[in-house]
Amino acid sequence: MSLVEAAEAAGAAPRVAAGPDRATVSGFLALFRSELLLTFRRVRTMALLGALAALPVLIGVVVKIETGGLHGGGDGGPPFLAQVTQNGVFLTFTSLAVALPIFLPMTVGVVAGDAVAGEATSGTLRYLLVAPAGRIRLLAAKFTAALAFCAAATLAVALTGLITGSVLFPVGKVVLLSGDTVSLGESLLRMVLIAAVVAVSLSGLVAIGLFISTLTSSGIAAMAGTVGLVVIVQVLDTIPQLAAIQPWLFTHYWLTFADLLRHPVYWDGVLHDLGLQALYVAVFGAAAWARFSSRDITA
Amino acid sequence: MTQHAGFEEPPGADEPIGVPYRAGRRTALRVMVPVAVAALAATGIAVVPALASDSAPALPQVTAEQLVTKVLGGGTSQPEAGGRTQALSGTVRVSTDLGVPAELLAFVQHGGGAAGVAGTAGAAGGGQAKAHDDSGADPTSRLSALLGGSHTLRIATDGPDRQRVSLVEDLAEYDLIHNGDQAWAWDSGSQQAVHYTGLRQGRPDAPGQLPGDVPDTPQQAAQRFLADNAANSDITVAGTARVAGRSAYQLSVKPRQSGSTIGEVKVAIDSATGTPLAVTATASSGGTVFDSRFSDVSFDHPAASTWQFTPPKGAKVTEQPAGAHQRDGQGGSAGHGGNDVKVTGQDWTTVVSFQLPASGSPNGSPSGSSSGSSRAGQPAHGKAPRGLENPAELVKSLGKPVAGGRLISTKVINVLVTDDNRVYAGAVTLPVLQAAAGVK
Repeated sequence: MSLVEAAEAAGAAPRVAAGPDRATVSGFLALFRSELLLTFRRVRTMALLGALAALPVLIGVVVKIETGGLHGGGDGGPPFLAQVTQNGVFLTFTSLAVALPIFLPMTVGVVAGDAVAGEATSGTLRYLLVAPAGRIRLLAAKFTAALAFCAAATLAVALTGLITGSVLFPVGKVVLLSGDTVSLGESLLRMVLIAAVVAVSLSGLVAIGLFISTLTSSGIAAMAGTVGLVVIVQVLDTIPQLAAIQPWLFTHYWLTFADLLRHPVYWDGVLHDLGLQALYVAVFGAAAWARFSSRDITA
Repeated sequence: MTQHAGFEEPPGADEPIGVPYRAGRRTALRVMVPVAVAALAATGIAVVPALASDSAPALPQVTAEQLVTKVLGGGTSQPEAGGRTQALSGTVRVSTDLGVPAELLAFVQHGGGAAGVAGTAGAAGGGQAKAHDDSGADPTSRLSALLGGSHTLRIATDGPDRQRVSLVEDLAEYDLIHNGDQAWAWDSGSQQAVHYTGLRQGRPDAPGQLPGDVPDTPQQAAQRFLADNAANSDITVAGTARVAGRSAYQLSVKPRQSGSTIGEVKVAIDSATGTPLAVTATASSGGTVFDSRFSDVSFDHPAASTWQFTPPKGAKVTEQPAGAHQRDGQGGSAGHGGNDVKVTGQDWTTVVSFQLPASGSPNGSPSGSSSGSSRAGQPAHGKAPRGLENPAELVKSLGKPVAGGRLISTKVINVLVTDDNRVYAGAVTLPVLQAAAGVK
């Protein structure tokens, strides 16, 4: 054993014994767990998830009732709707495509916007900070909990879509956008991938919502601000004169999740989307930190 | 960060008691962090590609003639000479900004177009137009969508008999697959397919070989364009560039004739293979009107599965047998007489003219396509959309009055509708159109 290694071993031993890293990690986990419980135990969160889960059921039942009228109508209506009657798996894709522009960001906006401002409104923020948790850790825990909600919300739509689709319609091999047919197993794999991409697509919005949430002490204002921003950005995304800035809007690549339904898979749009979300998380996460760590907490 | 947990921060601006003098500065410093992150990302994203594309590669000197020969020889007519470029696959971005009114675009997209451009209104259907008139998979109507906006195409080709073009759309896809003597057109949105059978093999340069006649890949657009316009253009080598990560020569082509609205066409040619990688057209009034370039390209042989297409269960398939299509292939000239489509002038100043029906005729309003960059005057058949009872009135309502009729003016395409409902269109200036129409 060389001297250096010995020194390293000697240096490492007390650090492990003292375990400051462990304390930080377990402290964060405890905080995250409490935030997670706080988020998911709320009646409001359950209601949001329930509303999201009702969407595929609604679409499925309507399609089932109106099946006769839908045959031959290729254009108009949500995407993939024509395929739903032939293959229930497509109900998941239809539901995600319908939910992603409005319903999903709305619920995420409510949860993320409420994260800090809601605590301030109810007067619990200062007590949270009295505990030796630290503001950064609290912010990180809130962000992670909101991301968990994104995943739960996406799963709620995808799973009820899959269940409703397979109950109401025949299920079989899936026809991809490029006309190729893949097995049910592969299509389920792609569905999982799509759900993951959709959930991660919402992370930029979570960061924005968290930042807005640190700006105000009113939970309602933060939620309305975040949801309003989603609407404004989507409107901007449709104005052709703004083509230059549109690739930088966080909603711009949302629907690229459908690129995973091509053969071969077209990754460009999805990678753009993920990169853009990472950029938004970095910028607005830093902004939330800058605001929250220097803000005076009076509530 | 535990030191920030309590009330160590200043209580507020209106309560100056106990405010540490450096708190304001610390806040300002913190605000700088997200700004810095944003700035860093912006510069990283803006500068890195700029650096990559600005570093024009150093390539050996070539003359314009050598380049043109390389492009034309490396393409379609001599398989052995162009063996290296026979197989390729890649992604192409096509941006078109013709400034065409949206109503006119909709009109064109329904196959009754008056201002077809760049050969996108290919010859499809012919006498069989009615058979698949309402099919979402009809190449003519689908590919004319490329007339406006930005689109992504995935293309693959392997020899003269195998091509695949996929138009990547939001939540949908449109595919053209050509394999040997048959071809498929597939539209995912409407779940419809058109099956073309009995195509002639081994004749890649035969007009109308691939249904829809897609020229929007840089390769085809450049080859056609150079073949058609070389005689009447000033062709120079304008430096080098990087396209899709490959070194390329820039070929600048300018019209020698006056009267064209196209100022310059630039073609980026891969230095190794002679494959055109990008085509950019600039209006003489300035501004890019057409840009088609590979964003990635590979010269490997694509997988065999690329050329296979089996119509999925539940899809509506329209059969398009050989007779109709072969006639269609040769129908370029045959169609002229029957549809009263005339082509006057040549090359840059080609003008296409045809008669508009005075009122909505139920079948086959004639249409033509004109272009400075491809074979002009391929007739495309089709119905006017149901809402357009009177195409002549619609077209006229879009124009502004000039001597001899009404002019619909876009960045490059000018359309003159005379008082007797005859349409003159081309990438030319108004005087050229008026001369073609015989207006004093």
